[in-house]
Amino acid sequence: MKKVIAIGLSMLFAAPAAVMAADPAPTVDQLRQQVQDLSKKLEDMSDRVDKNEKKTAVDRINWYGDLRVKADTLHYKDVTATQGVFFDFADFQNKALAGAFGNPADPTSAIAGFMQANPELAAAFQAGQLPAKGYFVMGKQSYDINNDILYTTRLRLGMKADVAKNVNFSGRLSMYKNWGDSTGVKVMDNFGAVSQDGTNSGNTSGDWLRVERAYFDWKDIGDSNFYLSIGRRPSTYGPPGQYRENEMRGGTPSGHLVNFNFDGITTGYKLSEHTGIEGQTVRFCYGQGFESEWGNGELFNEINTKDVHLGGFNIDAINDGTNFLQFTLFRALDVTDGFKGLVAVPSSFLPASFQQAMFPGFNMITRMQPTTNIGDITLGGVGFAREEMNGVNYFGSFGWTQTDPNGKTGLFGGLLSDPVYQIQDITADGPVIAPNGMTSSNDKENGYSVYAGVQIPAPMGKLGIEYNYGSQYWIPFTQAQDDMIGGKLATRGHVGEAYYIFDINPNMFIKLGGLYYDYEYTGSGSPVGAPQKVSDIQSGKGASMLPVIDKAWDAYASLTVKF
Amino acid sequence: MQRFGKLIAILAIVTLCASTALAASGGNAKKGKYLFKKNCKACHVTGAEGKAVTPLSKTQAQWDRFMDGDKHKAKPEAWKDFSAQDLKDIQQFLFDHAADSDQPETCG
Repeated sequence: MKKVIAIGLSMLFAAPAAVMAADPAPTVDQLRQQVQDLSKKLEDMSDRVDKNEKKTAVDRINWYGDLRVKADTLHYKDVTATQGVFFDFADFQNKALAGAFGNPADPTSAIAGFMQANPELAAAFQAGQLPAKGYFVMGKQSYDINNDILYTTRLRLGMKADVAKNVNFSGRLSMYKNWGDSTGVKVMDNFGAVSQDGTNSGNTSGDWLRVERAYFDWKDIGDSNFYLSIGRRPSTYGPPGQYRENEMRGGTPSGHLVNFNFDGITTGYKLSEHTGIEGQTVRFCYGQGFESEWGNGELFNEINTKDVHLGGFNIDAINDGTNFLQFTLFRALDVTDGFKGLVAVPSSFLPASFQQAMFPGFNMITRMQPTTNIGDITLGGVGFAREEMNGVNYFGSFGWTQTDPNGKTGLFGGLLSDPVYQIQDITADGPVIAPNGMTSSNDKENGYSVYAGVQIPAPMGKLGIEYNYGSQYWIPFTQAQDDMIGGKLATRGHVGEAYYIFDINPNMFIKLGGLYYDYEYTGSGSPVGAPQKVSDIQSGKGASMLPVIDKAWDAYASLTVKF
Repeated sequence: MQRFGKLIAILAIVTLCASTALAASGGNAKKGKYLFKKNCKACHVTGAEGKAVTPLSKTQAQWDRFMDGDKHKAKPEAWKDFSAQDLKDIQQFLFDHAADSDQPETCG
């Protein structure tokens, strides 16, 4: 304070003599009065500065955020729901011929009734044309679905804090909900409907904030170029997804391969200090996707699964603001047949006696946990993006996945394979079937995907076009991508997107766009279950536990404000 | 669908009515970055005469005040070769990457 007054007084007395001379010479009293006035003003200013200084000192977290309100109109064509399983026909044939289900010649026997109810099966059986194993479809229906309007609100509150000169904390709290629902549990009619740790940020839940990210960065450790970062990772909205999101790079790993909330560790090395190539950084990332013991009945010794670990390299080869080149290679070990999560069980999944006992509109909420480790998954990719001087941005990304199944299967299947069911008995209610612990396939499968897009300046904003394709066995970790029909980059098939972004001001934009999905194979985004041709499901040659979408489109409008 | 159409119409009106007033505007941040690195970094690095300066050294408002008011008062001759558009581009780059601007949400 004294310093401030001293500086003020010195400034006053140091005023140019010429200016002083231009006016009649002030009296000593006038000067004294001026000094007193000035001192009062400086004291007042000092008080205000002190308050700001105190406020800054106690405000340990810097907050920022964004709010997005969005309307989607969703339209699904030729959705097919089937009842069926991958079936061991050879076992059935052997049991039938051995008379396990009665005498086929006796019209009152169980086998005769069963054959009568399934004439195609009976014909193939009699002609000796049944395959050793294959899909046995007992029912099928196709329909269209139109959800004319679906409103959602996404609130994200970012946090930053300085811990020390080379250590900082980052976090993000997020709320993502569809209007009129805060139950947090959805009926399991698609793979994204399960409320689970890795995908909660990208799936609507309710009117609460979740900790989407919370980690620290400890940089320049020991004056080296190493950094260490531990916590809930920035592993969603990665490049090149920032163009369609109209924001800065939203996460560290390639968004084409990983868009999933992981808890883990990253250690990085800034190679750019040696090579001079701007933004060049090599990172090793490690995360845990599933904790098998804790919370899973450990004290009752009910556990027969191992933890799921993921590790790999994520390299920004160039990141200079114009060119961006990224290499990614990860491996997930001991992948489980699902994650821990909450779902409302679809009524049609329940036994008939349960369905009758339930009130209409009531679903059973259940906590699922995986039962089996089904194998390993390797993911690799290379992505390039360029931002031209004239405002044109474009990118291309190639992704590859390889599954390495261990031959085990849970209730819903193994790694990209279905469980094999065998017939146990035929009762008056129909056949009694049960999985025999085998999988439909134990092959290593390679999947690939391409993703490309361009964004060009347009009146009041920008216009973007994107396309991606995923092959039959494409299985990235992008289940937290928040597209309503399903994370587009996980699609086994074609997806086209066009959008127009109106930049109202630097902190506010409107986005209008549309997504068109043409699914070629089933089970996009799920490592569990055999991907089958959609056309096979439609023709009754295949079966799927969940309804299968053929084509779908989503037109959307959103308004985002950043603050 | 009708409701969705109405919504689009409302958003279109909002967009057309929206003000585009902002502090730093009309510059090309990419060109600004090039000019900043080529010219400003000659003096503004650690240990050099001008000391290290990056866009993060000031807030958006502070950069605007610097570019519009201060105009590099400490050494005016450093700016003499810049055209008005060059300065606009540099201002846009500094504004877009200022301490209170959006930053990449990555670790490290």
